[in-house]
Amino acid sequence: MTQFHFSDCPQQRHTVRPDPGGTGVIVDGADVRVQADAQGRFQALLDGRPERLHAVAHGDTVHVHWRGRAWRLERVDPLRGAGGGSSGGAGASHAPMPGVVVSVLAEPGQRVREGDALLVIESMKLQTTIAAECGGTVAEVCVAVGQTFQRGAVLARVATDAAGEGGS
Amino acid sequence: MTPIRKLYIANRAEIALRIVRTARRLGIATVVPWHAQDRHGPALAEADETVQIHSEPPVAAWLDVDALIRSAREAGCDAIHPGYGFLSENAAFARAVQAAGLVFVGPGPQAIELMGDKVSARRFAVQHGVPVTPSADEADDPATFAERARAVGFPLLVKGAAGGGGKGMQIVREPARLADAIATARRESERYFGDGRLFAERYVERPRHIEVQVFGDAHGNVIHLGERECSIQRRFQKLLEESPAPGLEPALRERICSAAVTLARAAGYVNAGTVECIVSPQGEFYFLEMNTRLQVEHPVTELVTGLDLVELQIRVAEGRPLPLTQADVRWSGHAIEARLLAEDADAGFVPDTGAARLLHWPQGPGLRVDAGITAGAPVTADFDSMLAKLIAHGATRELAISRLAQALHETVLLGVTVNADYLARVLRHPAFAAGETDTAFLERHREALKPAPLTDEQRRLLLGAAALALPEPAARALPMPYVAMGAWRN
Repeated sequence: MTQFHFSDCPQQRHTVRPDPGGTGVIVDGADVRVQADAQGRFQALLDGRPERLHAVAHGDTVHVHWRGRAWRLERVDPLRGAGGGSSGGAGASHAPMPGVVVSVLAEPGQRVREGDALLVIESMKLQTTIAAECGGTVAEVCVAVGQTFQRGAVLARVATDAAGEGGS
Repeated sequence: MTPIRKLYIANRAEIALRIVRTARRLGIATVVPWHAQDRHGPALAEADETVQIHSEPPVAAWLDVDALIRSAREAGCDAIHPGYGFLSENAAFARAVQAAGLVFVGPGPQAIELMGDKVSARRFAVQHGVPVTPSADEADDPATFAERARAVGFPLLVKGAAGGGGKGMQIVREPARLADAIATARRESERYFGDGRLFAERYVERPRHIEVQVFGDAHGNVIHLGERECSIQRRFQKLLEESPAPGLEPALRERICSAAVTLARAAGYVNAGTVECIVSPQGEFYFLEMNTRLQVEHPVTELVTGLDLVELQIRVAEGRPLPLTQADVRWSGHAIEARLLAEDADAGFVPDTGAARLLHWPQGPGLRVDAGITAGAPVTADFDSMLAKLIAHGATRELAISRLAQALHETVLLGVTVNADYLARVLRHPAFAAGETDTAFLERHREALKPAPLTDEQRRLLLGAAALALPEPAARALPMPYVAMGAWRN
């Protein structure tokens, strides 16, 4: 049995089991007629009509292509428990895309309101302002001007006034 | 005449390969530079020689005039093709290439300077009777500015002369609002730019972006190869380009194309160039700017004319006359190009990075794929987000659209988010099929262009395939029996 979730919906887990009959798999209790074909390609039946999909795994991430669209799914390792990804905690501003830091507009200790600009990043000619996720005090700016980062990286943290005493 | 024997291609990705292919057909040896961050480039396996270049960030290597020319000379090249982007419209580069005794495959530095600068190009267009958007510059005579602005006509755009980025811009639709708009624009312009001087120009609503491919040689011949419509844009970047422009009246097409030729001839233009215009719904057209290089979207012109634009560029650069006259140019059918970009179009066109973990290009009649990425290659933020161009040709626009939409659906590029399905949705939108294209198309149809949500059954299908997926590169290379065992073999 393997558990998956779609990367844009980490809360909803799905269970996939092998089908003892061998014509496909059982997903969330329902039969799915799908078989590996070749080179990352799969043949399937949907409403009795043939469908072709492509899929490739990279670590716990699986990319699936169907009818021109692609989806990212995450395999959940039961030993590691919840695989919801690194949240970075409350008040963390994540990189929405990979890129490079253009300017840092806030410094640790500075008071900010929710939505205040913390830094400006650039990715493929597009500049984006990274804003505070909540009001409070800037606890940390994790990157410097010119530094590159991957999507999802924590760029800065803001400690809310309520969370201040409990924060690490 | 200076025959080219060995060509240095100061570019990368799909356009480097595109140029290598034509050069090889002409019996010209090729040298392509590469960077450690770009060693999967598709041109490297096809070029006769490759040279490693170094820089941080990587793109700087393709902007280093001295290093590129030195590299070309050390490799024994006698010419440099700049491709598009990078140094292709840099007059200083063209001049330095010539000074080094090499042939620059492109227009001369003077033509790049004249037509590359928007202000001088606009003035030059006016001098030669090519229409530009009617305008009034306050600096010419501040006392009569309001009067002259009114004479330009409505709707009117009033903006700061020093401005940009939409700040302080006022759209005025009726004369009664002009005085207020001037006051507001001046206030905002002073606030944003510290300069209250104003500029007014005719505001074109629902403009179509139409451009003309022109070609000149060193013997005074200038021809055009027809127009391309590139109205489907996001953030001023083209996503779909086609030729001919749908629904363009033959008489208007003729006027636009002859204006482009007039301009190129007056500029003494040699090699490939593109004259960009905007066309209003009423059929007025205005010169925007000239691109003094080969365009990304040149393949649509190649498919409808049957010509090889890179071959023409090389022949003209060698000093030969164009091999055909205007009367010899023939157009056949319809061609459309789609730019495959590493971005999440449904999340507001945000760029994505990753790697081509599984890659299958579509094939079929009337289809051309100019790919800049190879299987396994990383997609980083170091370079432009365009990964490939898919171009379809058909006897009719309908056939070309249908072929391109199918090709986009059959493009499998897993490991980085691409805009393939988004572009297919644009192609299949009834308003696109009807030729109702203008630069606000994507914004206007934003809701209708969203993807359909998955049904539970469809979701289970994707999960089923995911459970059977193999890690790369096994998914690419494993023999069948192991493939069939899927994820269950351990």
